Amino acid sequence: MTFWNILIILARGAGYTILVTLASISAGLAVGLLLAVLGTMQHKAVKLFLAAYTYIFRGLPVLVLLFIVFFGLPGIGIRISPFVSMVLSLGLISGAYLAEVFRGAIAAVDRDEILAAEAMGMNRAEIFLYITMPQMFRMSVPGMINEFTSILKYTPFAYTVGIPEIMKEAMSLAAITLRGLEIYLAVGIIYFIIYKLFVLLFMALEKRFRIPGLAPE
Amino acid sequence: MALIEVKNLVKTFDGKAVLQGINLELSEGQSKVLMGASGCGKSTLLRCLNLLLSPSSGQIIFKGEDITRPKVDIRKIREDIGFVFQDFALYRHLTVEENATLGLRKLKKMKMKEAVEKATYELERVGMFEHRNKYPAQLSGGQKQRAAIVRALAMDPAVLFLDEPTSSLDPQMSREVVNVINKLFLDNITMLCVTHDAFLAKYISDTIVFIDEGVVVAEDIAERLFYESADPRIKQFFMSVIDHR
Repeated sequence: MTFWNILIILARGAGYTILVTLASISAGLAVGLLLAVLGTMQHKAVKLFLAAYTYIFRGLPVLVLLFIVFFGLPGIGIRISPFVSMVLSLGLISGAYLAEVFRGAIAAVDRDEILAAEAMGMNRAEIFLYITMPQMFRMSVPGMINEFTSILKYTPFAYTVGIPEIMKEAMSLAAITLRGLEIYLAVGIIYFIIYKLFVLLFMALEKRFRIPGLAPE
Repeated sequence: MALIEVKNLVKTFDGKAVLQGINLELSEGQSKVLMGASGCGKSTLLRCLNLLLSPSSGQIIFKGEDITRPKVDIRKIREDIGFVFQDFALYRHLTVEENATLGLRKLKKMKMKEAVEKATYELERVGMFEHRNKYPAQLSGGQKQRAAIVRALAMDPAVLFLDEPTSSLDPQMSREVVNVINKLFLDNITMLCVTHDAFLAKYISDTIVFIDEGVVVAEDIAERLFYESADPRIKQFFMSVIDHR
């Protein structure tokens, strides 16, 4: 078996890696956006909830949360599939980080623009939808790319709950062939290629939607 | 009947009265300029009039309706009052044309084509049509303020409020904006403008309202107020703001 053959076999697992990454990014964005919207509210209880959420989920390792969700919850009768467990765990944790990225971007939106929108007759929801959110996303691009690549790098944990992604394929192959060095090197190369493709995709999107004067060029 | 009638308007901040019983009338087609020393309450008055600030007491009658009463539809009133800010406050993520059409599409629920037609009319009116696809960061100060005027006019407001529209601009750009506002004045657009710029005030006003310490001290045409007032506060103010060269 050549190194090239090893790469091809492992690449089969890449589909799951990409799927878990994209689904976790979507979950993280949804959670992060929800937390960012809640963060614009002045209610004390909401602020307390956000502070607690961020404190807990930023301090919790992905693997621990994954084990709580996949192995722990069945103890109280809640059974969640491996894929959903992985996406949920990564989504909840990356959502806490993304919320911080969004919070910073929201704070950078010019107060005068908000005032102008109010003066025009927009309500809070319209101001968020048409003024704050479009600027927030554009200004969050560097932070989002950072977080998305972190999500990609956490996907190998998916093998611990039985998802047949690259790492699981690699471990099976290593057990059969005993060529661990080449196999895990191939895993590294595949991850690097996926990482590079993701970054290129995000950069292209950022370039496509770049607005003069709004984000660093 | 006046378009806007202000009766004994008071606004206090932390117990300090910034507006101490303002009385003012603005009729349709009329243009008035509010002048006075910094901190006299001009901008506060403008922001109270479209309820960006809540008045502490007094009445504001807009189109015959008391807009200071509870449960008034603030949104409808604000849609009817165009507001131009000192620092332009253009939406940075939108082009000039998108800035002008946003309110039409999202608030007035106008179709895109119709909104663009309306925006185009206003862009041409202030000489900004060729810049319609530029973002605010790609414009000069004067162009930004003209774009802000287009955004306000596109909504077809009953009145246009201008808060220090030239004070962030250098003299050349300021002149550019004065010409545009003067054109609106000649088109009988109803305007209420706050400024320290005597040149602007002279060319865009029917009368100038002089405010001192939160009350209206005098209201007259520019020439008389600038050069013939006997009130020492008014004399001193215009001595400092009028370029006597």
